[in-house]
Amino acid sequence: MNLDFSNEEKEFRKSIRQWMKENVPDDIRRCTARGAMLDKNMQQRWERLLGSQGWLTSTWPEQFGGPGWSATQRYIFDQERASAGAPPTSPFGVAMVGPVLYTFGSEAQKERWLPGIQRGETLWCQGYSEPNAGSDLASLKTRATRNGDHYLVNGQKIWTTQAHWADMMFCLVRTDSTVKQQQGISFLLIDMKTPGLEVRPIYSIDGHHHLNEVYFTDVKVPVENLVGQEGMGWTIAKFLLTHERTTIAGVADIHYEINRLKSAIDALPTETDKQLAVRRLAGLEVDLMALEYTNFRTVAATDEGKPFGPESSGLKIKGTELQQRVSQAMVEIGGLMSLPWDNEEPIGEQIFNQASRRYNFLRACTIYGGSNEIQKNVLAKMLLGL
Amino acid sequence: MDFKLPENTTMIADTARRYLKDNYSFDTYIAQLNESNHLEANRWQAMNDLGWFGLPFAESVGGYGGSLLDVCAIVQELGAALCLDPFVDLIVSPGKLLEFANTPTSLSLLDRIIAGEARVACGLYDRHAGYHVLNPSLRLNGERLSGQKHVVSDGGVADTVLVSAMSGDELVIVALPFDACDVERYRLLDGSRAASLTLDDVLITDEMVLCRGDAAKQAVSAWFDYLCALDCARMYGACRELYQATLEYARTRKQFGTTIGSFQVIQHYLVDAFIDLQQLESMLLMVSVKGESECNSERIRATSAAKAYYASQAVGIAQQGIQIHGGVGVTEELNIGHYFRLITHASLSNGNREHHITRFCQAGGE
Repeated sequence: MNLDFSNEEKEFRKSIRQWMKENVPDDIRRCTARGAMLDKNMQQRWERLLGSQGWLTSTWPEQFGGPGWSATQRYIFDQERASAGAPPTSPFGVAMVGPVLYTFGSEAQKERWLPGIQRGETLWCQGYSEPNAGSDLASLKTRATRNGDHYLVNGQKIWTTQAHWADMMFCLVRTDSTVKQQQGISFLLIDMKTPGLEVRPIYSIDGHHHLNEVYFTDVKVPVENLVGQEGMGWTIAKFLLTHERTTIAGVADIHYEINRLKSAIDALPTETDKQLAVRRLAGLEVDLMALEYTNFRTVAATDEGKPFGPESSGLKIKGTELQQRVSQAMVEIGGLMSLPWDNEEPIGEQIFNQASRRYNFLRACTIYGGSNEIQKNVLAKMLLGL
Repeated sequence: MDFKLPENTTMIADTARRYLKDNYSFDTYIAQLNESNHLEANRWQAMNDLGWFGLPFAESVGGYGGSLLDVCAIVQELGAALCLDPFVDLIVSPGKLLEFANTPTSLSLLDRIIAGEARVACGLYDRHAGYHVLNPSLRLNGERLSGQKHVVSDGGVADTVLVSAMSGDELVIVALPFDACDVERYRLLDGSRAASLTLDDVLITDEMVLCRGDAAKQAVSAWFDYLCALDCARMYGACRELYQATLEYARTRKQFGTTIGSFQVIQHYLVDAFIDLQQLESMLLMVSVKGESECNSERIRATSAAKAYYASQAVGIAQQGIQIHGGVGVTEELNIGHYFRLITHASLSNGNREHHITRFCQAGGE
């Protein structure tokens, strides 16, 4: 038993902290501190900056261009990144299609797509959900029909985050409707500029445009964009559910949010208000500590070569719940100050000014990436044998 | 970081589990529940033979130098077995207070505890001071001690009690015989035995005062944190068993022609309990290490966080365990309700959630 970081890890932390101090752009830092959303330019500048250090793909094995960090180092990096006020990176390229390509892709696919992800140049989006295939993903209907050296894709995807920014989409499509649902699904890479592909915005309750509908009408996709074989799509999707989840709980960003809220307590009207807020925050901090030590255990286990399996779903469930509770606390503690929506000048403390947008935004986090109820169904089956 | 238990701790835990499996069944517990004397000679001797009496204490004071982690491993198994043998009340609790007090008189009394020769209890609580152990309501005026102590956990058999009192502004710890007090004995929520003591101008000689002032405060404060960690260990052991029993019940209990574990709502309750149990285990590992830290703020932060967390989540698992069992969960015949009482009890001894949230806020650090 040892709950301390090693001296080498402490040195690593120091060097990352120093780099963050010198390199996180001021406009990005200010934007995060305000609790506002980054625009495409800021997000991409930040990811390219990390890419130029070789740190964007820190979870990748060294042979595919990862920096060779241990899980502990990746965890420390994430802590320092968040506490410096830098945003998390977009998961679609780095955490999703990248690992899929180096695990299931052909040499040609790896060569063609991995470098762009590594450098933060190619932006990806995820084409999974459909209007009638949400939690019941396997019932998806978007069709890909083989036609010589290409597929013709027809159908519709929905809730596609950042489709309006993306260069590429990785997409689950039905290539065979004569077999069992799960076995007829394939994994395709689709260029967002292909004719017949149309992106329409969906505005979410935080007032922003993150989500989209994507329509496909005879979209031509070259067969070399099929990953693995036809019918392997479901296997690939499941692989992503347990792949590298040591920072999925969002512990580092929850710490940052709690500290932001702490710094705003002085702006509350009375001593009683302040005391109640401090106690409520303490309750959240205690819950965060339980999440964090569980996270430490998964990190330590990963470094010993015994990564957690489906148990790590607990981190996603608890982490997203806690993100929501912290954002709710921020809105409720801010009270009157949380009500203005589109004003330039905050009334009172700046931090509460964007709090209600963030609170609205985070209602989605227990839904995306497999709703928490679906995660629980999976856990009940895989772990509890129910 | 490394979360693997040291080999020695694993051995201690395995031994405790095996010993209790062979010697302490649910029937043993029910029988003991109805006794007013909880010191059963054979099992007491067996624990002594296992080396548990010396384990919690440093080698320099005559113990075997076990860590808090080791003691938590035993207490976890005691909780899992619902064991009422007063190992904590008569050995660990008074022994650690005496060790932390670290005076010649306290250490010689500790010698006798380790040897299994003394029946000493801690009397640090009274209803007027509540959980504020550094400001008890008992008063030492000159040589005379007066006031009350409540919930003095002693297995129903202690003959000596370590009480805290204020002497002016100073905290003092005094060892005195039960005989000097008016004693009322009763059972507690978890089935253990305790007493209320009324002291009326009891004569205190100098050699009965073990320590005073800052030294006494430091000793009581360290004792409180140590006991908080043990509360968590006990609750974890109980929760672990209760969860397993509930899962098993959901797999086998049939209603509407199928097992209730096939219903999604039951599955989700159980997954929630699984995840909470995982986090409770993380908090236990954390507090088992940091609960004896010499840095006061780190120690207080760790124990109060753990105790506050247990008071909501462990209690939550216990409540849900009863709910999933349905009617049979609220009966005396089934162990589930007894685990519920144990967990509720441990969440209220040595500080409830509110007390620990306050203490966590005041601890600073991080």
